[in-house]
Amino acid sequence: MKLKPVRALMAAAILLTGTSAADAHIVAARLGDFYMGASHPLTDLQDVVLWIATGMLAGTLGASKGRWLIPVFPIGLLVGLSLAPVFATVSTQLADATMMLAIGMLLAAAAQVPTLVLCAIAFAVAVIRGAANGAELGPETDRLLFAAGLACVGYGAITLTMALTVLFKRNADSVTSWRAIAVRALGGWIAAIGLMMASLVLAS
Amino acid sequence: MSLHVPRVLTAAIASFALTQPALAHEQAGVAGGLVSGLLHPITGIDHLIAMVAVGIWGAQLGAPAIWILPITFPLVMAVGGVLGVLHVPLPMPEVMIALSAVILGVAVAARLRLPSAAAALVVAIFAIFHGHAHGAELPRAANALAYGIGFVTATGLLHLCGIAIGTLTRWPAGERVIQGLGAGIAGIGCYFLAQGLGAVA
Repeated sequence: MKLKPVRALMAAAILLTGTSAADAHIVAARLGDFYMGASHPLTDLQDVVLWIATGMLAGTLGASKGRWLIPVFPIGLLVGLSLAPVFATVSTQLADATMMLAIGMLLAAAAQVPTLVLCAIAFAVAVIRGAANGAELGPETDRLLFAAGLACVGYGAITLTMALTVLFKRNADSVTSWRAIAVRALGGWIAAIGLMMASLVLAS
Repeated sequence: MSLHVPRVLTAAIASFALTQPALAHEQAGVAGGLVSGLLHPITGIDHLIAMVAVGIWGAQLGAPAIWILPITFPLVMAVGGVLGVLHVPLPMPEVMIALSAVILGVAVAARLRLPSAAAALVVAIFAIFHGHAHGAELPRAANALAYGIGFVTATGLLHLCGIAIGTLTRWPAGERVIQGLGAGIAGIGCYFLAQGLGAVA
């Protein structure tokens, strides 16, 4: 019995140090492209930052306005994905940075954005990111499965972020409560990140 | 027991043999961008003390400053960063950064109470110089977004540190400690100022 933890540790150490890059043979399986579509955005910083920012903006405006994004965002992703061949050669970095700056400023200012504008912003983000994800599709990828995976993860990410923000801000009754300030400060950070990125893209 | 040593040895040899070569492109890609962005504001002492001093001063000033600063400060820094990336020349950046540590340290030590607009202006001018330095020294190969995330996060966290230290003002003894800290920051700033002006090698 005494030896067991040692052995387990040894085995774990060997396994950890011995890992080699995983060859993603799941792609060759029948439903592999679904998982590829679902995991691709999560490995891209642009997607992660922008989707969280969009979800937070919707969450700060409250559930009644934000719930419109639940259908709008995945549909936008699909539209963007179908437009991918058109924008294949264009880099979306500058558009990403601009959206980050805009959403971050709205968050930092705690602006009361009308529902229509919110939907337009989310749709624009979704189209840009859908196109960017679609640009990296291989010729042998199953488009339908990839699109389904992308739409699912978009739906999940935006709904979760929005719900968490609504929950987080539920007790923030005044403008100066620390919860409201924390959300606004994070918005300021996102805007700053967008500004830095835009300048770096323009300079390079 | 006698069996143990060979076993451990075999395990060690096996684990060494199986390791992959580490790709030491420190300044490249997403990871490189994140790391250099995070470390850049922290590794320069003159930057670090000034960022913390801004947080402490904000906490000392109280109500509006303590929550306006965290929201707007990274943004103003980023404006400076843009100037740095585009290589817009600013007058004597090294001296101004050292001077910012001196002035902010003195403000904390003296519990200087400026109107919030004036305080914001002072902080904003210095923030632009700090951001300029970070932007100008960006490694070219790094991922732009990752560098931005690392840089803004590090700045924000340093700022938060300052605000946390600043909450000591609630107690009279803590107030003294903070004034001492401010004096220390001003002292270190003086050293860097002398260095910037060429008095110290």
